[in-house]
Amino acid sequence: MALSSFTSICAALSLLQGPGTRLTYRIRVIEPASIAPRILASGAVSGPLDSDMRLTLRTDTTEIEALFQVTPVGDTVTLAGDFFTRRQVGRSRRGLPLWEEDSYRRLVRLAWSDTARIYPFGLGQRTTRGPSKALWVELTLEREFAGGEARPAESFDLSDSTRDVRLEAVVRPRRARVILNLVRGDTVSAPRPMDLVPEEPPRVVQLVLKGRATTLVVSLTRPDQARSIRDRALALDADVVCLRVAPPDGSEAIGLICGRLNNVARQLPLPSGDTLAATFAWPGWR
Amino acid sequence: MADSTHEQWLLQIDAELDGELSLVERAALAKHLATCAHCAGARASQLEVRVALARSAGNPHAFVVPRPTIRAGTLALWVMIALGIGGIAGWAAHQHWGGPGGGSTLEESRGTIVVH
Repeated sequence: MALSSFTSICAALSLLQGPGTRLTYRIRVIEPASIAPRILASGAVSGPLDSDMRLTLRTDTTEIEALFQVTPVGDTVTLAGDFFTRRQVGRSRRGLPLWEEDSYRRLVRLAWSDTARIYPFGLGQRTTRGPSKALWVELTLEREFAGGEARPAESFDLSDSTRDVRLEAVVRPRRARVILNLVRGDTVSAPRPMDLVPEEPPRVVQLVLKGRATTLVVSLTRPDQARSIRDRALALDADVVCLRVAPPDGSEAIGLICGRLNNVARQLPLPSGDTLAATFAWPGWR
Repeated sequence: MADSTHEQWLLQIDAELDGELSLVERAALAKHLATCAHCAGARASQLEVRVALARSAGNPHAFVVPRPTIRAGTLALWVMIALGIGGIAGWAAHQHWGGPGGGSTLEESRGTIVVH
């Protein structure tokens, strides 16, 4: 009975450690040429199964940003691409560039070993001698079993430095390291590091400054949905978290501190006259 | 040089209206007036001044020399022709170069994912 309980606890703990599957987006940016297609860039983005990939292609007259997400369905996977494009369509009477913006979503289902060919500039008009001259991106999805490796990773090789191509891993933090300090004048309390999980029940924290203890109730939340269509489509706020700070008596919250996990301290004035400084960072290695 | 010749012709016009030119000089002036719109206009102006003076002096038989005028119908016709040519040229340019956004449709310019 005891052994069975231990086994089930181990199984639960292993599930909590995150999925054992690692996802890799492997891409090649290919430009058609007269003799053989030329590879402009190649790279890979890997991470937990919920990792996304953001791809950016820029020319003088076009900017294409796309966020790719996968949803495994049995032996197949659904690849979704949220595109946000800007094209220069001319100039105004005062000589300033005029741009048209477009956002749309593409969805395909493919097997894990399949290659998806993405035409970011569209298939265009096929010429009499063959397909269009627009470049394309070859995307292959791979999955492998990872031994607890949960960190996202990127590798990118740009063969033609005149091209503006970028590749980024987009990962929403499952937990965040929050360091709290209490500031009064030029005095700062000892840092209080905490590992918080978004949408977890609130935690009570006590900070002591000059012998006076301040008790606060803090909880980590996700930010509200981005207002801009571009920010929403490209998940630009994926690594933003918000810290809700409330007094211990359960009354109305004192305030909300939102920020990226980038080690920048953000301040919130407290009713007691002190200032709470919160620094968000990615959690340490496990 | 051309101005001095022109001034001489204006003097000849003045003399002609005073009846002081010979038949040969009047023939030469008439030949010049047929080719010089400026002198013809100056002669018409002088005639109008003289008619006005004659009327004010009580001569009821004085009459105005009619000037060439552009008729409204002709003007309207030319305006219509100019507008028509402009419209056709604009349509042809739009067909050839298109408007903002390029010649392809929106869906053609959008990204596509094809599975291999």
